[in-house]
Amino acid sequence: MPESLLMKLPWLVLFAPLLAAVAIMCLCGDRRGCSAVLSIGAIVASLVGSVCLFAAYHGEVVPPEHPLIWLQVGDPIAAGSLTFDFGFQLDNLSLAMLLIVTGVGSLIHIYSWGYMREDRAVPRYFACLSLFTFSMLGIVLANNLVQLFIFWELVGVSSYLLIGHWFEKPSAADAAKKAFLANRIGDFGFLLGILIVWGVLGTVSFGSLSATVKANREAFSAVATAAGLLIFCGCVGKSAQFPLHVWLPDAMEGPTPVSALIHAATMVAAGVYLLCRVFFLFTPDALLVIAWTGGITALIAALMAVQQNDIKRILAYSTLSQLGYMVMAVGVSGPEPAMFHLTAHAFFKALLFLGAGSVILALHHEQDIWKMGGLRNRMPVTFWTFLIGTLALSGMPPFSGFFSKDEILAQALNQNRALFLLGTGVAMLTAFYMIRLVLVAFTGTARSDAASHAHESPAVMTVPLVILAALSIAGGAIGQVAHPFGEFARAIHPAAADSTVAMICGTLAMLLGMTLAWRCYRKATADPLPHLLGAPARWMRDRFYFDELYAWLNRWTQELLSHAANFADRWLIAGAGVRGVSGLTQLTGSALRLFQTGNLQTYALLFAAGLLLLLYLFL
Amino acid sequence: MAVVLMCVPADRRDLLRRGTLLATMISLLTALLLFLSLENAPAGPGNLSTALTALQSPVPLLNETAPPPLEAKYQFKFTQRTDWMPSLGISYHVGTDGLSAALLLMATLVAFAAACCARDVQRRDKEFYVLLLLMSGGIFGAFASLDLFGMYLFHELALVPTFIMIGVWGRGEDKNYAAYKITLYLSVGAMLVLAGLIGLAQIVRAKYPPAEFSGYNLLEFYSMLEQTHGTGFNEGLGPLIFPALLIGFGILVSLWPFHTWAPMAYASAPTATAMMHAGVIKKFGLYGLIRIVLPLHPYAPNADYWWQLLLWFGLANILWCGLVAMRQKDLNWLLGNSSVAHMGFVFLGIASLNFIGLTGAVLVMVAHGLLAALAFGLSGHLYAQTKTLEMSKLGGLRREMPFIGTALLMALLAGCGVPGFANFVGEITVLFGLWKTQPIVTAIVCWAALVIGAVYMLRAARQVLHGPPPAIRPNYTDARDWSERLPFVLLLGALLFFGLFPNWLTEKMNRSYHRIGQSTGMHTTQVSPR
Repeated sequence: MPESLLMKLPWLVLFAPLLAAVAIMCLCGDRRGCSAVLSIGAIVASLVGSVCLFAAYHGEVVPPEHPLIWLQVGDPIAAGSLTFDFGFQLDNLSLAMLLIVTGVGSLIHIYSWGYMREDRAVPRYFACLSLFTFSMLGIVLANNLVQLFIFWELVGVSSYLLIGHWFEKPSAADAAKKAFLANRIGDFGFLLGILIVWGVLGTVSFGSLSATVKANREAFSAVATAAGLLIFCGCVGKSAQFPLHVWLPDAMEGPTPVSALIHAATMVAAGVYLLCRVFFLFTPDALLVIAWTGGITALIAALMAVQQNDIKRILAYSTLSQLGYMVMAVGVSGPEPAMFHLTAHAFFKALLFLGAGSVILALHHEQDIWKMGGLRNRMPVTFWTFLIGTLALSGMPPFSGFFSKDEILAQALNQNRALFLLGTGVAMLTAFYMIRLVLVAFTGTARSDAASHAHESPAVMTVPLVILAALSIAGGAIGQVAHPFGEFARAIHPAAADSTVAMICGTLAMLLGMTLAWRCYRKATADPLPHLLGAPARWMRDRFYFDELYAWLNRWTQELLSHAANFADRWLIAGAGVRGVSGLTQLTGSALRLFQTGNLQTYALLFAAGLLLLLYLFL
Repeated sequence: MAVVLMCVPADRRDLLRRGTLLATMISLLTALLLFLSLENAPAGPGNLSTALTALQSPVPLLNETAPPPLEAKYQFKFTQRTDWMPSLGISYHVGTDGLSAALLLMATLVAFAAACCARDVQRRDKEFYVLLLLMSGGIFGAFASLDLFGMYLFHELALVPTFIMIGVWGRGEDKNYAAYKITLYLSVGAMLVLAGLIGLAQIVRAKYPPAEFSGYNLLEFYSMLEQTHGTGFNEGLGPLIFPALLIGFGILVSLWPFHTWAPMAYASAPTATAMMHAGVIKKFGLYGLIRIVLPLHPYAPNADYWWQLLLWFGLANILWCGLVAMRQKDLNWLLGNSSVAHMGFVFLGIASLNFIGLTGAVLVMVAHGLLAALAFGLSGHLYAQTKTLEMSKLGGLRREMPFIGTALLMALLAGCGVPGFANFVGEITVLFGLWKTQPIVTAIVCWAALVIGAVYMLRAARQVLHGPPPAIRPNYTDARDWSERLPFVLLLGALLFFGLFPNWLTEKMNRSYHRIGQSTGMHTTQVSPR
């Protein structure tokens, strides 16, 4: 392919979904087919473009393209100017991430056409889906922090629209709002971090930032930890890390393909991608905080997942937990393992969500796993692919999750023993709750009317499942050989991983978890854990009361302030202040009016009195 | 044009409406042409703005004078000058540079949209349209005027119709109180401004070599500052001029704590008036701050003290009014408070005292003008259907009114600073500018902009557009034909266009500030080159 055409390709990759979204809004009206074709066509075009780019540039140093100037304030040479560029960053990291986003995204788009067929607002759905893909691709391709922040916000908006797709349902409307606000709190830190970096280093472009930091670490070190942690706040919001994890489970109110997209290929992956992108900015102190944040998220989310009964919520908490893993991996100086796990996770988590969607649709939107059962024989394709996803997630060799999880554990063992133990514990819990889910939902006998009449889904939905299952099996081994992310960060933090111990520990933990789950749930018709554990089981089910805590905090801080401000505004400024002044003016006016009686005799009297006063004063 | 319209018989409704639309559309096209040709036009007199202001201004245009060199120096184009009251040094003197051309473009667009949205006026519509045109002509003149007294006069011309419009065509029980409140408040502000301007003119007259005797000329004022370094401001009443102008202009823009007139007035005003006032007329105070008060800043005694005050009051605008907006039950009150809160960004951009902040401030001015007009126009459409804007009585409107609902959702999202819309560009530029001088304040503003803004905007979206519809409700109609949709499409299109291609706007403005900034000594903060 000629070079000049290749340089145009990123534009196609990025803007095809946006064009589709605009075209659907303007042209399609109510036609469902038109919107689906446009949206799917756009993302497939992006996929093809990404493959070409990957083939051409992978492993090479891409010559920096002259970015466009998006906003220019003042003379660029003179002091006191500000320039925001728009350009593309093409390196191993972004090229591989493009493949994940467009590849998994394409399958989810196609699956959506089957899943959403009966919906009232298919064109709106596909328009938002394309907008979402566009925003995510923008994050991947951004070559400076401000551009990344712009697309970062757009991801937030499009997730708001998609989670709130069924906006007439109060729970969906609330969940959309909650997701957006939690993201905004994270973005607050992110923006401050960008401002600090810009204030100290005078640039926001990744290329010159990394050059400056490498050349002169001291210039940046005074505020480096603070800046790094503030940027990490953005990741905490978008990747739903503790303490901003609360929005992700609620986001299950959106249509299931949307959940798959948010959880697998876009949105939550953006946070981890950001950490890898700006990895060179982080100091050891910052990395330690990042690692523990990830570790804690992985643990509490896994604990919560153990006691959930909604099929999508179990998967949601498992996503949280796996994201914690990835963030922890970055924190222990392992961005490559983090990205590797992100890739593997994208495959099997998309598979699991789409499988769950297939089940939910077959059961007419029943999501409680205790009302399922016996689906193995009625939905064989869904069952087997779901099982593959489960094994990959649990880290069973030789599925993809085994390799990626193993790399993270090895890295943790190398850097931080405590986090290694924590990670191993989470591996056990992961196997436990996933096997619980499979056993309860798919085996045994049907526990509801709907479950006994379930049918396998149509091919438009099962084919993506099969493709994803194949990727979940093979992805790990391929990644082990091919190294799609190259060595984009190891030059800064050299770390040799000793993997044998980690591999054995991880696999043993997984087997332990599976065995426990098998014993508890093999023949269960109701959950035995609440009896076994008592109160802790209830805490897990109620998500450790984080939502209640935040509601309470919000009520006593921001809401209280707003009540106070409103009261003061209405009664002190507008009431006492303004009405007071106007009242005083009126009072003066009416007092003065008393003198203007129009009565000549009164005037004469006053005149005489004044005269007497003057005479008295002067004589 | 208003004069022509007055002669049209009152029973010819269509004619009235079309005449107004035509007039505003002509000024819109003129402003667009003016803006586009700004770069290439020679400095000094030109005919385009003549055409623009002649369309709607009541002042007759007579003898053109030779191009004074000052206009070339300060890069003002399309200027036009006629002596009006020579004994006082007052003249009719108009012209534009990048700043006023951008504002005029925004103002004419909003005026056109407001004329489109004036459908809800059902009685005495002749008077309404005449007043609307008078108001538009007044505010265009205020932005174009290069004569300090002319600025004041044109602004008053725009202000007086507001009072009548709210009082006669307003809605709600409090409309009379609201009309009095806004008028008295703004008159106090305008009086302070007038006092400051007269003081200024006296000093200019005393200090500037009276080759061309005037006093109220903006350009002579700049030139005087440059030559004398503002020595006149320490004597007599000189020190009072700066605060009088600052607070006076501040009141006109609802600077905290002088802001309570705004939400009330917008809640009671008819749609077109709210669009014009919140969108355009309010910006005059900010324009005055940038045009007059900012250049004065390096020379006025105690300027730093007052500037600090502006900074903290501007912060209070964002934070306080944002918190107040969270508690509103009525959509228009919420929009009014959010509009006051957005003004805080402009204050802070100006108070940051560097070009980045200033550019951001102007971007917010343009963006907010369009957004405020859009939001009040949409809420006006809702009110015409629902007869209430109490948010708890609405719900699920996005289903029944897909077009209006989607447009309102976009407006609300633009209001909480979503990229793609012009507001985001302005706000982030202000934050970058402010960060250079006031990091702590910037951090608070970030919180207010990202979190508090999102809280109240999303709350409105949740209550009005989302959620289940109330049990009993009549059938509402969406905006169906293109004429109803046109104003909203135009405003949204402009918001998106400026949001996606901000450079189109800023590159025209860069040069004019640089010029004014350099010649008046506005200091820039050092930013290391990229």
